[in-house]
Amino acid sequence: MRTRKWYLMMITVLSLLAARGLYADFRAGIYTQAGPETIHQMLPNAASMDATYDAGQYPIYYPELAAGEGKDEVENNCELCHSPRYITMQPPLPAQAWSDEVNKMRKTFGASIPDDTAQKIIQYLGSHYTPETRKR
Amino acid sequence: MGDSQQGFTRRRWLKTLGAAGATLAAGQILGKPGAAAQEPSGQHPAPEFTGPGANPYWTSPGQFATYPQKAPLILLTDRPVQLETPRHYFLSTFTSNDAFFVRWHLQTIPNAVDLKEWRLHVEGNVERPLTLSFPELATRFKSVSIAAVNQCSGNSRSRLQPRVAGGQWGNGAMGNAAWTGVKLREILDAAGVKSGSVQVQFEGLDRGLGPKGFGSNRFMKSLDLTNPVIEECLVAYAMNGEPLPMLNGFPARLIVPGYFATYWLKSLSSIRVLDAPDDNFWMKAAYRIPDTPRGTTTPDDMISGKVATVPIARMPVRSFLISPDGSTKIPAGFPLRLRGIAFSGYGGIKKVEVSTNNGANWSEARLELDAGEYSFRTWSLEWTPRTAGRYQLAVRATDEKGNTQPDEGVWNPGGYLWNKIERQEIVVGDAS
Repeated sequence: MRTRKWYLMMITVLSLLAARGLYADFRAGIYTQAGPETIHQMLPNAASMDATYDAGQYPIYYPELAAGEGKDEVENNCELCHSPRYITMQPPLPAQAWSDEVNKMRKTFGASIPDDTAQKIIQYLGSHYTPETRKR
Repeated sequence: MGDSQQGFTRRRWLKTLGAAGATLAAGQILGKPGAAAQEPSGQHPAPEFTGPGANPYWTSPGQFATYPQKAPLILLTDRPVQLETPRHYFLSTFTSNDAFFVRWHLQTIPNAVDLKEWRLHVEGNVERPLTLSFPELATRFKSVSIAAVNQCSGNSRSRLQPRVAGGQWGNGAMGNAAWTGVKLREILDAAGVKSGSVQVQFEGLDRGLGPKGFGSNRFMKSLDLTNPVIEECLVAYAMNGEPLPMLNGFPARLIVPGYFATYWLKSLSSIRVLDAPDDNFWMKAAYRIPDTPRGTTTPDDMISGKVATVPIARMPVRSFLISPDGSTKIPAGFPLRLRGIAFSGYGGIKKVEVSTNNGANWSEARLELDAGEYSFRTWSLEWTPRTAGRYQLAVRATDEKGNTQPDEGVWNPGGYLWNKIERQEIVVGDAS
């Protein structure tokens, strides 16, 4: 008999607790509009049974370079060997560091960039990608 | 349900979203009034770059991107391809192939390989030059496997102060795999290394658009023939029991256990025995570290020109807390299981210690599955934070050689060898 009393008491207590749950402090049902960025699922590449193992093409994710004088020179020279993400990936660097980078590309890596074009590129990077000037 | 009604539903839905946002902005919540509104989580994308201070995030902060045979990874650059592995993949001993980080030096990288044509050339100062097809490579020599960590020399480069130019990796330019292939030594013996040979050079299928003779045209790395690591090197044709993803070096790559990834040539096509030291750009000028303790120096000393350099080699001991990662508030009294990994290029992990009070006291963690001295070693430790607060967790590992992680960073112009003790803030909230 005693067990049954306990049982009933427990049910009452649990019911009260459950009801209390309805008044609990919580937020619900809030959604927001997602941004435009989407990562699509990719289907596997159609495979043939010959000896060619083909992974398909590698996508380009072209970044937005700062607008300004010298941007064309960057696009026409730097981008021959590498994506402009090599610029946008960097932390803001001092103007001298950008000058060193451009000269490294010319002297060490053999990029054939004429002096005046190189100067424009250095000027551009210094105007948009230093701690003082970098916006995005 | 009619078409118009469906359209109405969608428009209403979007309006409701706007209204919910406004409600939130006004600081009202369901249930009892008076509680402060919180920013909805997950709505603030990480910035595209960090600096000039140190990158405060575990990985590089940029966007995710999808590449062939790959899960969405963190994009550093798209041409040549550099992709970083997100943190949660490091909860396990082995890093899955689709999540394994990617780093190429030159823009013309293989998309497809025809195994009818592909050959591994063993050439140079040898008695019998070899031209091995994929089946020959796999059947002519004994198959062996090793678990080994592949870590970019510049992993965690974005931690350096002052920042240096280069791939701005967080901690995710590393991975551990079970590599299966054949011993480099067996291949060299089959070809017969001539006396007077000093180095063996490796080259893959990647090429650049720079002029001939420059590092922007070809990527090659060499190891001394007297280096004991030669005896441990593999030419691997399988990664975690699968063919290598194209971006990780299909059909075969060099495995140099304990060494930084710069030597692990991908899509290997040439093994060249040299009778004079390799003076190509990637050995003579790049991937060099100051010949100082821990390879650290200062910008001033570099400018002065007094700093002698040596080629980068073995990876210093490192350890990481993977979970919890600080993105979730933990209720006080919650029994947490701290989990992470440790590894060292100098041999196995002997000890991992964890501090929950910013390094004042340390507790030894439990070391888990031992997959070999060059593998990730997972560790765990139970910890129940009793009261609300901001806890500074720190983790440090000691390897079999007795090397321990220091609490100071390094600086060198290449941004290499970072192995400072890692820290993670965990926010514990009231639970009642």
